[in-house]
Amino acid sequence: MNILEVKGLTKRYPAFTLNGVSFAVPEGAVMGFIGRNGAGKSTTLKSILGMVHPDAGKVKVFGMDYAANERAIRRELGVVLGGVDFYPKKKIRVITDVTRRFYDNWDEDKYRHYLRLFAIDEEKRVDQLSSGMKVKYMIAIALSHNARLLILDEPTSGLDPVSRDELTELLRRLAADGDRSVLFSTHITSDLEKCATHIAFIKDGELQYTGSLGDFRAHYKGVGATLEDIIVHVERRPLDEGAII
Amino acid sequence: MKALLYKQLRLVCHPMTIVFCLSGIMVIIPNYPYTVIFFYVTLGLFFSFLNAREQKDLYYTALLPVPKRDAVRAGCLFTALTELLSLAVLALCCLLSARLQPGKDNLVGLDPNLALLAAGFLLYALFNIVFLPSFYKNGYKVGVAFFKAAVPMALLMLALEILPHIPALSWLDDMDAAAQPRLIPALAASIAVYIIGMLLSFRMSAAAYERVDL
Repeated sequence: MNILEVKGLTKRYPAFTLNGVSFAVPEGAVMGFIGRNGAGKSTTLKSILGMVHPDAGKVKVFGMDYAANERAIRRELGVVLGGVDFYPKKKIRVITDVTRRFYDNWDEDKYRHYLRLFAIDEEKRVDQLSSGMKVKYMIAIALSHNARLLILDEPTSGLDPVSRDELTELLRRLAADGDRSVLFSTHITSDLEKCATHIAFIKDGELQYTGSLGDFRAHYKGVGATLEDIIVHVERRPLDEGAII
Repeated sequence: MKALLYKQLRLVCHPMTIVFCLSGIMVIIPNYPYTVIFFYVTLGLFFSFLNAREQKDLYYTALLPVPKRDAVRAGCLFTALTELLSLAVLALCCLLSARLQPGKDNLVGLDPNLALLAAGFLLYALFNIVFLPSFYKNGYKVGVAFFKAAVPMALLMLALEILPHIPALSWLDDMDAAAQPRLIPALAASIAVYIIGMLLSFRMSAAAYERVDL
C-alpha cells in the first residue's frame, strides 16, 4: 500500500514551474527526494502539506484525500522543515508543552525516551541547540505523536558528517519495522546511499525518475557508480566558454 | 481551539500587551483624551503580532495539525481577549474614578462613563476590521497593517472626543449614576457593532490568509 500518493502536482511561479510531479511512497519506505538547489523539492513538499497552493494535482495520504482530511492526516504526520528556527529564546520544555496539546495521541513516555536517546536537555533554549540537535528535537516531536509518515525537507543540510550519519541511521531504523515511512528531500545524495529504499529525482520542476533505489541505479546504469555521480552527470551544464572567470 | 489559544498566550503574547491592557488606570488623570487608552491597547496588540512575526509563529503553526483558518481564528480570539480584558480593567477604573474624584468633569472630551466604554467597542471594531485582514493578507507586514488601522482609528477617536462638546450630545458626558441608563442603548449598540466587526474581520482574514503561500 502507498502511504503517500502525489499526482500531477503543478505550481506556477513567474520564474519557475513545478510541472505535473507524480510519485508514491510505499509503506515502510525511506524515499529520498533529490535534485539540485532550486529544482522544486521544497515547493513539492510544501504543496503536499498545503502550505503552498498548487495550481493542479492531487495528494492522497494514508489513502485519504489530503485537502478533505487535513486535520486527521496531520495528526499522524511528522513534518520537519529544517531545524527549529522559531521561538529561539524559548526553552525546549515550553515549546513541547505547547506542541503536545495539539496531539490526542501524544505519548509522553516515548517523548522522554527520545530526549534521552538524542541527549536533548529540555531546559536549554532553542538557540542553544546545535543544528543537528534542532533536527533531532523535531524528529523526537514527530515520533512522540506516533507519526506514520515523516516528511523532512533538507534535514541534513548544515550538519557535520557524524550528525548526518547518525540521522540517516535513525531514519533507516525508523522505517525498518514497516509501519512508518519517510519522505526525505536532500541535495546531499551521499546521505541517501545509507538509508533510502526509494528515490524520486526532480530537475527544473519536472520529475525525472521515481522508483526503488535499485531500479534507479539500473535506469542510470553506465552514468555513474554513486547517486552523486548520476546527479552530477544529469544536472551538469557546460560552462560558457566565453564567460569571464 | 483551546490548544491554539494556549499557544497564543504562552508563546505569542508580548509582555507589553498585558501592560497596555492596564491603560484603563489613565482615567484618573484629570483632563485627558481618554480614548487614547484604546490606542495604547492596540499598540500592545501590535507588539504581540510583531513578536509572532519575529519568532516565525506562522511557520511554527503551519507545522501543527491545524488548518490555516484555525491559525487565524486563534489570532482573532487573542485580539478579542486582549480588548475585552482592557475594557474590563477600564470599567473598574471608571468606577474607581467616580469614587475617588466625585464631580469630575473632563474638559478635553469623553468622561469615564458608559459612553467611554461604548467608544472603546467602536474603536476596537474599526481597528480589527482594518488591522486583522491587512496582516493576514501576507502574514508579515505587521507595521503596514497597524498604520492602516491606526489612521482611521485616530480620526474616529477625534470625532468621539468632540461629540460631548456638541450641546445636543452633552448628555454623553453625564457622570451621575442616575444618568447612566440613558447611555445603555449606545453601549449595547457598540457591543453589537464590535461582535459583527470581529466576525467580519475573522472571515476576511481567514479568506486572505488561505491564499498566502508560506
